[in-house]
Amino acid sequence: MDKEELKKQIYTLIEQAQGKKKYKQMDVIKHFRNLGVPDAETKEAIRELVDGGQLIYTYMGGSYIELASKLEKFEKDIFK
Amino acid sequence: MTKKYDTPLLDELEKGPFPSFVTEIKKAAAKNAMAADELGLLEKSFRDKVTYWKHGGIVGVRGYGGGVIGRYCELAEQFPGVAHFHTVRINQPAGLFYTSEAMRFICDVWDRYGSGLTNFHGSTGDIILLGTVTENLEAIGTVFSMNGFDLGGSGSAMRTPSCCVGPARCEWSMIDTLDITYDLTQEFQDELHRPSFPYKFKIKTVGCPVDCNAAIARADLSIIGTWKGPIEIDQDRVRDYAKKGMNIQEEIVNLCPGKCITWDGNNLAINNSDCLHCMNCITKLSGALKPTPPFGATILIGSKAPFVIGATLSWVIFPFMEMKSPYEEIKDFIRKATEWWSEYGKNRERIGELILRLGMREFLEAVGLQPTPEMVKEPRRDPFWFWKEGDLEGKPWESWLK
Repeated sequence: MDKEELKKQIYTLIEQAQGKKKYKQMDVIKHFRNLGVPDAETKEAIRELVDGGQLIYTYMGGSYIELASKLEKFEKDIFK
Repeated sequence: MTKKYDTPLLDELEKGPFPSFVTEIKKAAAKNAMAADELGLLEKSFRDKVTYWKHGGIVGVRGYGGGVIGRYCELAEQFPGVAHFHTVRINQPAGLFYTSEAMRFICDVWDRYGSGLTNFHGSTGDIILLGTVTENLEAIGTVFSMNGFDLGGSGSAMRTPSCCVGPARCEWSMIDTLDITYDLTQEFQDELHRPSFPYKFKIKTVGCPVDCNAAIARADLSIIGTWKGPIEIDQDRVRDYAKKGMNIQEEIVNLCPGKCITWDGNNLAINNSDCLHCMNCITKLSGALKPTPPFGATILIGSKAPFVIGATLSWVIFPFMEMKSPYEEIKDFIRKATEWWSEYGKNRERIGELILRLGMREFLEAVGLQPTPEMVKEPRRDPFWFWKEGDLEGKPWESWLK
């Protein structure tokens, strides 16, 4: 799979899972492994999405990958 | 001018002969509003017997998945200085050696961007900088990075590797703990900064079995310096210890777990093949006994504090590994072990817990190791050896009988 397409699909996976399921990095790798994408390529695509500021690592009793846009909402909500 | 709080309960902790963290917070509070509110909040917590902190979250420095631990205060209106009070972990230098210039730099940065409060060091080994706000995190990351420092590990990632002072200051160090730690830190940057494991993974390296960093109890991977040669004995110095009042029989011979030392009142003898390398005799008879090469390390896996299961000590995996740069053997083992753990581990399950759940045999197969007697943790407990049909076709017992 083309790298840009893979990044798009990873982003969509995380976006659609919001509020339903939290993905750890290994969960994402396994998801795309089942679609025939080598682990290293998925890892590299996640790295680019994080470095690009589209995704972030979060810590909620374990480390997960989530949408970067969640940060602002999180800080507003936490003071409610 | 910072806000002042009455702190009668905290004041109690300043009494007595010991240094007091309350005194230090008060010093910081005199010039920093965050530290002042931290003092007020702590007094209230003590009075109410309630913690008002919310821990965890999603703040960080862009590109990093660790190094910042989000903390927020429930009483943000009452104590606005600590509404955000994030902790920043900075990767410590191996062996905790600093120049005074580096120390001043770290403290100056923290006076400017944070509460001025620090922990040198946290139990992971990192420099812990306590209390900053979300808006300052990128600047903190940039300033430290431009001055040769990096964030440490946190979350479900490899934690900042740490070690004892090693050969820099210790006569017993049998491996270069500082170089090993630096090398592993550089090698596993991705694992340190981008959390991809089921839970934390700590590496601690110590130069000898005295284990000043408690690697055997606190690290998922313990690298403990050891030796293979016979223990060298300077009989004159042993006699000198006896003359000065040491009871060699009681303090050395009777305490030897391998029962391999004898003392006839004039000469000390050690049966090296039965030595368990505890180092009791070597440390007590300092200068009289000395380990000799070849030097290397015993590699153990799986110690941790209580969580899914109770506290565990590490388990021997390599009785002896040569530790020579570029340390490919240990790096290869770490990669194989963490890949297996990432594949099968549940969320918040440490590697030692996974080994206990699936069995040491599964682990050994995954990392490509043969069982050895040193791996047996408890007698009659660890059935590592299971025959497969293919093994029996070769009739292995015939070679044993020879």
